Amino acid sequence: MRVIQRVLGSRLDAAFAERLHHLEHHGAVDVLRVPSADTARRRLRAVTEGGEEIALALPRDQTLFDGAVLVLEDHRAIVARVGAVRWLRLRAKNLPDALELGYHAGNLHWRVRFADGALLVALEAPAEDYLVRLGDLAGDGRLAHDVVDDAPGEA
Amino acid sequence: MTAHTHSHTHLPAASDPAPVTAARIGIGGPVGSGKTALIERLIPVLQARGIDFAVVTNDLVTKEDAERLRRSGLIDPARVEAVEAGACPHTVIREDPTLNIAAGDDLEARFPGLQLIVFESGGDNLASTFSLDLVDWWIFVIDVAGGDDIPRKRGPGVLRCDLLVVNKTDLAPHVGVDLDGMLAEARRARGEKPVIATNARTGAGVEAVADAIARAVLFAP
Repeated sequence: MRVIQRVLGSRLDAAFAERLHHLEHHGAVDVLRVPSADTARRRLRAVTEGGEEIALALPRDQTLFDGAVLVLEDHRAIVARVGAVRWLRLRAKNLPDALELGYHAGNLHWRVRFADGALLVALEAPAEDYLVRLGDLAGDGRLAHDVVDDAPGEA
Repeated sequence: MTAHTHSHTHLPAASDPAPVTAARIGIGGPVGSGKTALIERLIPVLQARGIDFAVVTNDLVTKEDAERLRRSGLIDPARVEAVEAGACPHTVIREDPTLNIAAGDDLEARFPGLQLIVFESGGDNLASTFSLDLVDWWIFVIDVAGGDDIPRKRGPGVLRCDLLVVNKTDLAPHVGVDLDGMLAEARRARGEKPVIATNARTGAGVEAVADAIARAVLFAP
């Protein structure tokens, strides 16, 4: 099994772009799909889309990112593609409910963003697991909610 | 592996010699579930496999767990570091794991060639999770005597850990717990993520835990 010990750079780096473009034309760029929640792991075993089992053992000061070049050889490359972050978008219908929602999000240590008057929670589990934690606030229809990908907004 | 450069430019290869860093794993779970006992059982198993490792323990306001391991005779006491959480145990493994990261860095500096560092959280509740900035992979330990309804409560620790360990299996008949039912419920709650039953008093299931660690972060077959 190939053990990758560091990220070489970004596929957008000038030093890599031309070479990767050439390899892509020969169908020689393999992709490692990584869920967004796993990008912080420095050690990971995974199988590329091409079927190669690889291991990542990155230094502590490196993390995976979308477009990370992991392998670049004469006839083959492996590039990481990171899945979109899914967000649970919650919008309270009045100020008291918004305050209560904010309390729960903090108390539960959720990772959140704010955008257009809504609170967005980064999903690391099914949305239902988060809604059930809100109890009556979600169950009584006091919140509007849906799931969106890669929402814009301020962290 | 062979380092590669190609004819166009001198680009680094991922397989170039790089500073080798130790894998870092976490072991968390409620108070009294058997985290330290599991580590005590893991130590000789990891040693028998030739794995070079060290342990960082977390306690609230003492170094109790670290002292227990140091006095155990199982491991070189210098390979055990203690972090005092001071407040909520999850704070130092999730919100701000700086103290633990520093302890891990210190162990790596003192023991070149270290392959694995085990971070034991202080006893916490079912919402406890590890930051992946601190560890690469983590175990959550619950125990049979804590009640067979724990998996049903769907705590983040139970759901999100990479390996769920259900410890103290020997106590099931004494506390009125249907062990098979509890394990089935845990597996149902976790989907494809693994669950291992252990008895840290006898060592049952501990080899399987070591297998899971070795496979996940040391890349054993």
